[in-house]
Amino acid sequence: MSKLEKNKNSRGLGFYLSIYRKILIQDLKTKMSYRADFVISTFGMILTNLSGFVTFLILFRNFPTINGWDYYHMLFLYGFSLIALTPVQCFFDNNWNLRFMVRSGDFIKYCFRPINVFFYFMSEVFDVKGLGQLAFGLGTLIYAWYHIGVAVTVGSIALLVLYIFTASLFMIAIMNFAAATAFWMEGSGNVMVIMFRFKDFAKYPASIFNSVFRFLFTFIIPIAFIAYYPSLAILAPDEEPLMTGIAPLFGLLVFYLSYHFWMRGVKRYDFTGS
Amino acid sequence: MSEAAILMKDLCKDFKVLNRHEGLKGSIRDLFSRDYKTISAVKDVSLTINKGEIIGYLGPNGAGKSTTIKMMTGVLEPTSGEIIVNGNIPYKDRTRNSERIGVVFGQRSQLWWSLPLIESFNLLRDIYMVKQKDYEDMLELYRSLVDLEPIIKKPVRQMSLGQRTLSDILAAFLHNPDIVFLDEPTIGLDVSMKAKIRDLIAGLNKTKNTTVILTTHDMGDVDALCRRIIIIDKGQKIYDNDIDHLKSYFGSYRTLKLRLADDTWEEHLIDESKEDIMQIILEKQKLSGVKDIQLQEISTEEVIKKIYEGGVA
Amino acid sequence: MSPKKLIALTKAGIEESLQFRLGAFVTLFANIIYLVLVYFLWKAIYASSGTDVVNGMTFEDTMIYLILATALFNFLEMYVVWDMSRNIQSGKIILDLLKPMEYKAYTFWSYSGNHVVLFFLTFIPTFIIVMFVTHGAIPMGINLVYFIVSVILALVVNFHIEMLVATLCLYTESTWGINIVKETIVLLLSGASIPLAFFPEAARKVVGMMPFRAVYDVPLNVLLGKGGADTLSGAASLWGFQAVWAVILIAASTLFWNVSVRKITVNGG
Repeated sequence: MSKLEKNKNSRGLGFYLSIYRKILIQDLKTKMSYRADFVISTFGMILTNLSGFVTFLILFRNFPTINGWDYYHMLFLYGFSLIALTPVQCFFDNNWNLRFMVRSGDFIKYCFRPINVFFYFMSEVFDVKGLGQLAFGLGTLIYAWYHIGVAVTVGSIALLVLYIFTASLFMIAIMNFAAATAFWMEGSGNVMVIMFRFKDFAKYPASIFNSVFRFLFTFIIPIAFIAYYPSLAILAPDEEPLMTGIAPLFGLLVFYLSYHFWMRGVKRYDFTGS
Repeated sequence: MSEAAILMKDLCKDFKVLNRHEGLKGSIRDLFSRDYKTISAVKDVSLTINKGEIIGYLGPNGAGKSTTIKMMTGVLEPTSGEIIVNGNIPYKDRTRNSERIGVVFGQRSQLWWSLPLIESFNLLRDIYMVKQKDYEDMLELYRSLVDLEPIIKKPVRQMSLGQRTLSDILAAFLHNPDIVFLDEPTIGLDVSMKAKIRDLIAGLNKTKNTTVILTTHDMGDVDALCRRIIIIDKGQKIYDNDIDHLKSYFGSYRTLKLRLADDTWEEHLIDESKEDIMQIILEKQKLSGVKDIQLQEISTEEVIKKIYEGGVA
Repeated sequence: MSPKKLIALTKAGIEESLQFRLGAFVTLFANIIYLVLVYFLWKAIYASSGTDVVNGMTFEDTMIYLILATALFNFLEMYVVWDMSRNIQSGKIILDLLKPMEYKAYTFWSYSGNHVVLFFLTFIPTFIIVMFVTHGAIPMGINLVYFIVSVILALVVNFHIEMLVATLCLYTESTWGINIVKETIVLLLSGASIPLAFFPEAARKVVGMMPFRAVYDVPLNVLLGKGGADTLSGAASLWGFQAVWAVILIAASTLFWNVSVRKITVNGG
């Protein structure tokens, strides 16, 4: 007398996409009904971006180049990093709530459904504010691209899309690692805040660091992959470093590892909070 | 129907916790400390739960109830021992296990906080891949058991605690699971809401033959719903039998109330297997005169209280 | 509110902060890395500029300023806005309002324990490292005492900015929004992300009058003996600037808080 007769293997990518789409539509519907919140958050996001831009302008007002990178090339990096940071902001923002849920024990509710815990957890929050950042980043990137004069071809656009996707994987992975520390220790909020601050350095060329730190930011906390290495694929296709070439594969690997670390945390967590 | 819903054999679960030290000095020491101790939350628990039963799973706070539930739902892996739920080992395939169970955790809602209830239901239908026909039938059944109208279009965040609990219970039964775990479902609710919830649980159990594991501190829930109860204390099973049997098992207790000559009431808890009630009445009669007599069955609440306090057993 | 009670509250805060065992190590470690990043960035910037002094700031000045600003930022960081919004959403605020101690004072003193820990865990180590690395670029004299006074004033100003913003949580659930607005404004206009000396002249004048400067820029100037802070009268005038803003912000946040609390009690929020 089996109550559910169905194929248990049928929860594939299509299933998850359709669930995500449905949750997203419902979520957006309710967000529209909280207009004040939406307006304030969007304003906050624009202000953050503006402030970052102002800092950037002030810097270049005092110093014309940084390590051989002129204003427009730096602007390109800046725009690129903003776009690459959009997915983590839009789709993985619930990582910021992880530590509270773990500590209070509320996290357990994600473990009772027959779907992937990581997916279920992340699907709960879609952060619309990230879209403002995307617009800002796109504007900056196009402006810089135009002034640098890189040819606009199908190839270069395809490359850009591939590398933006790659770059975003790195930031998502970093935040997954940082958030998942909540399963092992208290005060993991600090780890997240710090990692989130590290990303501010993603918009500078990694060549400013000495070899030790370049290694650190390439392999340990891979912020050099958020803008520097990927942009070189567009800006210097003839002399791109090895890291640029392997970035897409490396990105997938790092993301996969971060996902496993996160899920290990779930397994290990004893849900003693109550 | 002889197949067991849940089977546990010598189940154990240990936790490692850091020994924290007191005070400012202790906090600094803890920064570097590797001083762990092992706590066994569940010790050698064996039990069999049959399909369609409603089990009252009781025990004082920290007895290991929720740890056991977490093992049954596949969230925690046992340290040792065997556990089989619906024929599966829950922690080995949590996803498969959770397709056939439903869980309600007292005051924490598992529904989408800002969505209207019906949208949460629709999402759950998709997540559990319930056939549209079955889904509609289930909603029909719900409508016959409770009044859905006031809550179905309401976002969960705007609901009262009672409405939220009701919604969570409905959501847990939505995919017609074999087993539903209810942790303190009536906590904090008023009397009429409690009655409503109990009727709902009883109704769903009856129509769908769903096994229900109920943990609660409210003996009203137990009296209204459970025929069999299991009690654990300090991680060990100390009672597993019929609720009727419970009262005689720990002694045939009754409360004798006597109104004495000076109009004061006196209460005696009497174990009939050891004392003779008539004897006591006669003695009292001689001593101070008895004007009125009342004999009351001991309530489940009192028995459980005695067990938790270690008075009996 | 007896001093004994305040000390007890501070002590509890210290213990709580230390409970974050691994967290404490990670913070310390990550701060060091973060500072190294700042170092490399500015080294590259100065190396590319061709001159040693830009807007009156040498590389060393800039570094000391930014590193200490970061240390100060870590030490002064508060999450009053988040705490408040969580308390409001969970309804705990009602309990807090019933406590014998005034809510604001209660929050301030429970944070002070955290501040004490962070001062020793982040600021002091950073300060010592900077001191050794720069071989006495930081004057070591009476200015240290002036600095402590200035930091305490900065703490008061910072707390009341937080309080003022946190009170907004009584009106809106958009905690993230108002918090990010606050954080962005404070970081940019206080000189924590880029020294105010690099701002264009006109902007510097305007920013110089604002209270945000009182949080990071003023204490750092007092410590480094810049902006006339090397004399007692100079330092005193900077304290005066901080004190004036402290008074204004205390008044404003108290007023705003009282008005708002009355509003929620009336509406039964």
